[in-house]
Amino acid sequence: MKKNFKETSKTGALAWLLQRISAIFIFAVLIYHFFVYHCISQGKAPEWADVVAKMKSPWFNLLQFLFLLAALYHGLNGVWMVVEDYIHSRFWRIFIFSIIVLVGTSLLFVGTLTLFKVANINPGV
Amino acid sequence: MDEQTNVKVKILRYNPEKDKKPFWQPYEVKIEPDATILDILNEIRWKLDGTLAFRRSCRSAICGSCAMKVNGRNILACETPMHRFKGRGLKIEPLPGFRIIKDLVVDLDSFFEKMNRVRPYLLLDKPIPDKEFIQSPEEFEEIREVCICILCGACTSSCPSVWSNEEYLGPAALLKAYRFIFDSRDDAADERIDIVNDKNGIWRCHTIFNCMEACPKHIKITEYLSRLKVKAVENSI
Repeated sequence: MKKNFKETSKTGALAWLLQRISAIFIFAVLIYHFFVYHCISQGKAPEWADVVAKMKSPWFNLLQFLFLLAALYHGLNGVWMVVEDYIHSRFWRIFIFSIIVLVGTSLLFVGTLTLFKVANINPGV
Repeated sequence: MDEQTNVKVKILRYNPEKDKKPFWQPYEVKIEPDATILDILNEIRWKLDGTLAFRRSCRSAICGSCAMKVNGRNILACETPMHRFKGRGLKIEPLPGFRIIKDLVVDLDSFFEKMNRVRPYLLLDKPIPDKEFIQSPEEFEEIREVCICILCGACTSSCPSVWSNEEYLGPAALLKAYRFIFDSRDDAADERIDIVNDKNGIWRCHTIFNCMEACPKHIKITEYLSRLKVKAVENSI
């Protein structure tokens, strides 16, 4: 038998549960997201100004932020699951994990910045 | 007696003392159309090639010895009629994911070692009763289907998570853990959950369903492992 790879963490119970919770959350918010962005102005596609106006609401933006957070967690945790299945070298695991964390924090930063920027645009422009 | 037919069979042969790597050996067997895969293997060994190695014992689908891969599916050779693969030649291989000892005989040591890790026997805190343990039909229903596992290894051998990580307990050992965790007579559920609630335990199961398809006893393995996951989450939060 090869060595144990138990050093990653004791269990996976929390990760498994969060993956399910984030999946349900993403599914629900995604439907809402499409509804708001694509069916906002009865019968016709919403215009840029409609979207910007919607994003002025801090509650809507909070939901968008949670959506971003859940999607990043769900996607990158999925990638990490695949890595845990197939990569057994300690070096490559740490290397790929670092990339996952880097990608996650970068996209979170860019996504959050976008939310703030759009919220501060004057819809008339 | 039915008229005999000719069947083309390819068997993955390997003798580690002689061969560098496994190779396909073709055979042509004359046999009754309702023959099983085991009948074909016996016919080959008894009449065509005495060097072919395979395990078999009860020929009643209860000992679990003759699990092997035929035309891409893990099956029990003794209970599977060849007409299930009608119109195609037969390609018979050893169970994947295990080391080949010779031809269709694989090394199951790791399989039983993992089985032992979940302590597959009743563990009791309470005193042993004078007569039998009382278990209601409802309590037994929880584990009835799981109890019919014959330890053939078809499920564990079909699991891609097992192929990629040999430390993973695999569906058979996890199903055995379920069998005792949900047994009303057993007192060591928490201890067993600690064993399976591990990166190389239940969390390597990604509900691929190969185990369920492979199980010759049609146990809904993936469903039971999902219940085990919920139980593990309940215990750790």
